This record gives sequence, C-alpha cells and structure tokens, in this order.
Amino acid sequence: MANKTGATIELLNVSKVYPNQPEPAVENFTMTINPGELVMLVGPSGCGKTTTMKMINRIIEPSSGSIKIDGQDILTLDQNQLRRNIGYVIQQIGLFPHMTIAENVAVVPTLLGWSKDKIRARVAEMLELVELDPSVFSNRYPKQLSGGQQQRVGVARALSADPPVMLMDEPFGATDPITRERLQAEFQQLQANIGKTIVFVTHDFEEAIKLGDRIAVLSKRSKIEQFDTPANILANPASEYVASFIGEGAALKRLALMRVDSAVESGNATGPAISRDENLRVALDSVVLNAGRPVPVVGGGRVSIESISAALGIDVSRLGQ
Amino acid sequence: MTVQATENVSTSYSQPSDRRGGFYTAKRFGTPLLVIAALGGLLLFLYSRGEPDKIEAFALNWDYMLAKIDEHIRISLFSAIVVALIAIPMGIVISRSKSRIVSAVVLGLANVGQATPAVGVIILLALTFGIGWATAVAALVIYGLLPVLRNTITGIAQIDPNITEAARGMGMRPLQVLFKIELPLAVPVILAGFRTALVFSVGVATIATFINAGGLGEVIVVGLKLTRPAVLLTGAIVVSCIALLLDWLAGLAEDALRPKGV
Amino acid sequence: MGKYDLSLIWPFFLDKLDEIIELSTEHVLVVLISVLLATIFGVSLGLFAWDKPLLRSASIATAGVILTIPSMALLALMIPTFGLGWVPTLIALALYSLLPIVRNTVVGLREVPEAVMESARGMGMSPLRVLLSVQMPIAWPVILTGLRVATQLAIGIASIAAYVAGPGLGVYIFKGLSMLGAKNALNFALTGTVMIIIIALLFDALFILIKRLTTSRGIRG
Ligand SMILES: Nc1ncnc2c1ncn2[C@@H]1O[C@H](COP(=O)(O)OP(=O)(O)O)[C@@H](O)[C@H]1O
Ligand SMILES: [Mg+2]
Repeated sequence: MANKTGATIELLNVSKVYPNQPEPAVENFTMTINPGELVMLVGPSGCGKTTTMKMINRIIEPSSGSIKIDGQDILTLDQNQLRRNIGYVIQQIGLFPHMTIAENVAVVPTLLGWSKDKIRARVAEMLELVELDPSVFSNRYPKQLSGGQQQRVGVARALSADPPVMLMDEPFGATDPITRERLQAEFQQLQANIGKTIVFVTHDFEEAIKLGDRIAVLSKRSKIEQFDTPANILANPASEYVASFIGEGAALKRLALMRVDSAVESGNATGPAISRDENLRVALDSVVLNAGRPVPVVGGGRVSIESISAALGIDVSRLGQ
Repeated sequence: MTVQATENVSTSYSQPSDRRGGFYTAKRFGTPLLVIAALGGLLLFLYSRGEPDKIEAFALNWDYMLAKIDEHIRISLFSAIVVALIAIPMGIVISRSKSRIVSAVVLGLANVGQATPAVGVIILLALTFGIGWATAVAALVIYGLLPVLRNTITGIAQIDPNITEAARGMGMRPLQVLFKIELPLAVPVILAGFRTALVFSVGVATIATFINAGGLGEVIVVGLKLTRPAVLLTGAIVVSCIALLLDWLAGLAEDALRPKGV
Repeated sequence: MGKYDLSLIWPFFLDKLDEIIELSTEHVLVVLISVLLATIFGVSLGLFAWDKPLLRSASIATAGVILTIPSMALLALMIPTFGLGWVPTLIALALYSLLPIVRNTVVGLREVPEAVMESARGMGMSPLRVLLSVQMPIAWPVILTGLRVATQLAIGIASIAAYVAGPGLGVYIFKGLSMLGAKNALNFALTGTVMIIIIALLFDALFILIKRLTTSRGIRG
C-alpha cells in the first residue's frame, strides 16, 4: 500500500442506472488508467462524471461491469478497506466541523491503526506539503479557515495515508479564480512529487488542460468522445463536440503546453531574456511586447514568430494580438 | 444572539443554546439571579407576614417543603433520564432506516402526540393502571419522549450529507460514521430536545399530584383547596424556580458538551 | 380495565352531546381569545423590538421564562389577584402563547435579506413602509407558524384550567379523575382528551389553510 507510484485502474463496461431513472447515468464506460497518471474527466454538468468517479470507491455501486485496481476486482474487496486506500476529495470538501485540522487529517491513519507518534509526524508533514504551517493550523477548526485553506486541508486529508489512488471531484470548483489558480499550481507541483494515480473530475476545460496527463472528454451518459493528451486533443479534436468544448483559442492553449526549448533557433536578439522552462505562450507574449522582434533565450539562442510558428505548425503572427 | 424560529411545540421551548463560549452572557447569570430574587422575595414575604396560621403551618415548614422539592426533582430527573435512554437510541434506529415513510410516520405521530394534553394522558393512565408514582413516571416519560425523539431524528438528518459522504469515502464503517461524525454533530440539537423534555417533566410532575405522586403540585393544591394564597404562591414559585434552574443547568451542560468548532 | 365499560362510550357520547358541544365551544373560545390577546401584544412587541438588540433579547428571554414555568404554577400564580374562572385562565394562556409569537415575529422580520431591505430603502420607501409592504409579507409565514404553535400550546394547557374552575373540556378530564373507579370515569376522561386532540388537529388544519391562502405565491415553499 505504501507504493508511491500509484496503481492501475481498469474500468470495463461499467454502467450505472439509478433507481427509477429511465436512462442510465453511465453506460458501458471502459477506460484504463496507468500508474501515476492524472486523468481528467471533463464534460458538461450532468453528463455523469461524478457518478463514474464515485463508482471507483463504491460510494456509488455500479449496476454492471467491472472495476479493477492493480488487477483486483474492487467488488470483491471490503468496501471500507478499499476506501481507506483511496484518497477522496469532493467539491464541498466535507471537512468534519467538530474536529480540528490535525484531527481531520489524522482520520484515515487512525482508522488504519497507526501509532500516535507516526500519525502526529504524518499530519505535520501533510500540512507542510499543502503549505499550511502546522504550528498555526493544527489546532484550528475548519470554520476558522478560508475556503482555499479548507480545500488544501481536504487534499492533505486525502493524502494522509499515502493512498496509491486519489479521486477528486471538482476540488477547486468552489474557490474564487485567483485562489483556484494558486491551488492548481500547487497541486501540479504536488503531483509531480507524489505521482499518484488520480481521477480528477472537472467541467472546466482550461483546468483539464493545465493539470491532466490525459483528458477524457465526456458527453451524455459518460460517453467518451475523446481520450488523449491535452496537446493531441487541442491539435486534433475528434469531433465537432470536442471542438466546441475546446472553444476559441485552441492554438494559444496548445502554446501554453509547449516549452520554449522546442522553438529555440540560433541567432542573436535584444530585449528581456526568457527561460527555457517557460511555455511558448509566455514566449509569444514577450516577442509581441518586444515589437515583434525575436527575444533571447537564457543560455543561448532566441525565439521568434517564425520559430514558434514552425514548432506549432501554424502561423502565429496574428495570434498574439 | 441568534434566535431561531419556532417550528412546533417542542422547539418553542428550548432551542440549541446559542452561547458562543462567551462566559459573561446575560442568560448564564440572568437565570440564577432571577431565581435568587424570586426565592428571596418569597422568603421576605413569608417572614414579613408573621407566623403562619395552623393550616398554613402544615405546608409552610422547611421539612415538608424540602421533602416536596426532593420528590419533585427526583421524579423529573428520573423520567428525563429514562426518556433519554429510550428516545435517543430509538431516534438513531429510526434515522438509520432507509425508508422515509418510517420517519414521516413517527413525525406525524409526534404531531398528534403534541396535541394531546398532558393532564389527559396522566389521568387516563391513572384510570387504567391505577394512581401512584409509577404511573406518573410513565406519563412523564410518554410526554417527554416526543421532543427528544424528534430532535434526535432532525439532529442527525440536518447534517450536511457531504460530511457523511466524506467520512464513508475515507473508509469509516457505518458505526464509526455514527459515533465519530453524526452523533457529535447532532449533540446540540439532541441536548436541546433533552432540555425541553426536562422542562416538560417538571411541568407534568406538577400535575402528577392529581394522581397522588407527590411533588410541589401538592403544595399548590393544598393552597387552593384550603384557600391559603401564601401556600399556593410558595408552591408555584418554588416549582417555577426548579424548572428554570434545571433548564439553566441543562443549558450549561449543552455548552460544555457541544463539540468545539461547530 | 374491568371496572370500566368502554362499550358504553358511544351511548355516553350521544347522551352528553349537548354538554360536550358546550364544553368544546368554551375550549375553542378561551383559546381564541387568549391567542388573540397574545397576538396583538406579541406581534406589536415584535414589530417594535426586532431591530433593537437589547429589547429584542429581553422580550424573548422574558417570554422564555414564562413558558418554562409549569402551567399549574402559572395558573396558581394568577389566582390571588384574579380569583378563579375565565379571567386567570385567559391571562395565563395569553402569557404562555407569547413566546412563539414574539420569537417568530422577530426572526421573521430579521430574516428578510439585507439586499431586499436595501433596495426597498433605495426606492425611497419610509421605514414604516418597508416594514408593512416588504418585511411583513415576507415574514408572514414564519409569524403564522408562531401563531400555530401558540394555539397548540394554549389548547393543551387550557385543559388544566378546569382545575381552577376555568372553562373547557378539562372539566371532563377532571370529572373522570374524581369518579375514579366509577363506570363512566374513563368515558369522561377519554371524551375530554380525544375532543381536545380533535380540536388541536382541526386548528392545525385551519392554520395550514390560512397559510396557503395568505402567503404570497412567490415565497410559498
Ligand atoms: N442519486 C441519484 N439519483 C438519481 N439520479 C441521479 C443521482 N445522482 C445523479 N443522477 C443523475 O445522473 C446524471 C449524472 O449525474 P452526475 O454524475 O452527478 O453528473 P456530473 O457530475 O457530470 O454533473 C444526471 O442526469 C443526474 O441527474
Ligand atoms: Mg458532478
């Protein structure tokens, strides 16, 4: 269980029909998620994202089909044991209001029977991981925290027992745009270090592009319209539906996913230098700010409108305006 | 002070205490002050009018009054505790049952029960099972069940379902969810029901004198029957003070037991 | 239960019908008058106190103390001043009914969203105008619930009033007690109790109807 690399999740022909509902909420959903992969389920409200996700920890029991984690059929496992090994974050956060922050984070380790010392150390470690000072926050109650802080506690709580799998249902959905950006950036950093297998539900396509290793674009009854990397979906939307979901500015979105590395050409330039780790969208902005002239890259070389266009395969000279 | 609207007869009595840890609140000191003033005024009145006459002396002496007070508090507390022992587990079982019908039936019955006059219950019980202490306790218990039962059910039902889902999602077993999450969060509402039951108990115990169960109702009845206003006032004031004090104590307990952070 | 003959209850009922109707009428009347008194006083107090924190807390706390006093004791407290019969009963019932009415009036008026109040003021309504044409209609269902609860309380407590020579169906309940062991004792007590329950349920139904008819469609749940 202490495997840091995450687990494989296989869903095969999974369907869910709610009682007294004419249509299934999820129909024949099949997907394989690799260890350590962050898969985004994205689609309009009511398309069945949440239902699909909640079947993985059996908060919702599938009507048919099979779900395996690391080859084990989850329906044969004790559901509480199963859940203790799956981190769970929901949009409403669901912190326990009568427990302190430390007690909230300690819930699953306590359920698993860890020693007091180990739990205490773990709680501090988790709070630091989500950038909350343990000496300040441990003994506070949830209502004494801002929304963004509460959401971080929610993530810390889900991670506390080091589960190989995490399920996250619009975890940043209820926060204001600025807090959301910060939480997303922190989360991206976090996932780079911990490498969990994560199923992440969102209706925000930008968020899906920013965070996902792969994105599943879903339509009604959780039908998979396209399941691919963000760059591939942006470059080759599989259908009108997916294209409409991407919306305007696909090329700019793709630029945001590419590193400056991929567009460096030799030559000199004047103006503020840009780092190789930056994304091309920032690079394009710099070029435009530099009155369209190429800008130098730290460590040698430069980027220009032409080199960015070549990297993307599209003429970008009119994009930056 | 946040005041909540009254929804039914039980909630018109005690509501979850709203004292937010503020120790120096009016209610914390107001009730004891009021009780002291009332009892002090009563004593002053009784002593200033001189020796009680022969009939009054039957009731207006410390031995008799203390015995009645003792009887009254005993029967009220005993019934309230029996009520808690029956109604809280019952409320939990009912709220476990998936069927909405069960809770609807219980709450419906509770409404009819609310319309039933206490004096009717106690006298009907006495007519069928005989008069005396046990019958009085039965009446007090029946009457006190409703508020605690109702508050236990609503106390659990009002918990944000996302909180219990988070608990289940973390792998808590149903009993763990109940004891670690649901009950602690329902405590303020359940205790408010218990306070109501306690106030009911003191009130119904006053009526219990009609079926020879003693208590301070007896003092009032003696005063009425023998037309001695001083006796009647003494009984009425003392029993009112008991009701206020028990309600106040239950309020303090509620503050102490309320989970922090809620 | 051998002492009592419940099969006689129907003949008993028919035999005593006139008296039962009279006592029921008395019961309804005493409740109506006292709740009306409590409404006039309680709603006025609520209207006056809802935006004055100290007065608001004080009124609710006082009414709470009154409700905590056992009904027997409150009735007894009336007697030295008002004697026996209707008057002490009316006053005691009215006092009891105060808490739900005051509390719900205050809560109802306070629950009106600040945005609604502000836009009403912004349109140039005077405070009285805001109170009457914005706050009251929005608070009305809550106030009405307070009246309903007050009525329920009064119906139950009125039964004890018979002991202080007050009116109403309590007379039958106490008659049953005083005839303990006699054949008709249970019939008396049962008739009194059941009639009170019926009256309470009828009043409840009436309040539901009034609530439906008098609540703006826009805020009806
Ligand atoms: N408990 C339920 N009972 C019946 N229908 C439900 C329930 N939960 C969700 N649904 C329905 O299933 C569909 C998918 O819901 P959901 O998975 O919550 O969608 P999403 O998370 O994509 O917004 C919706 O049409 C919704 O109305
Ligand atoms: Mg959803």
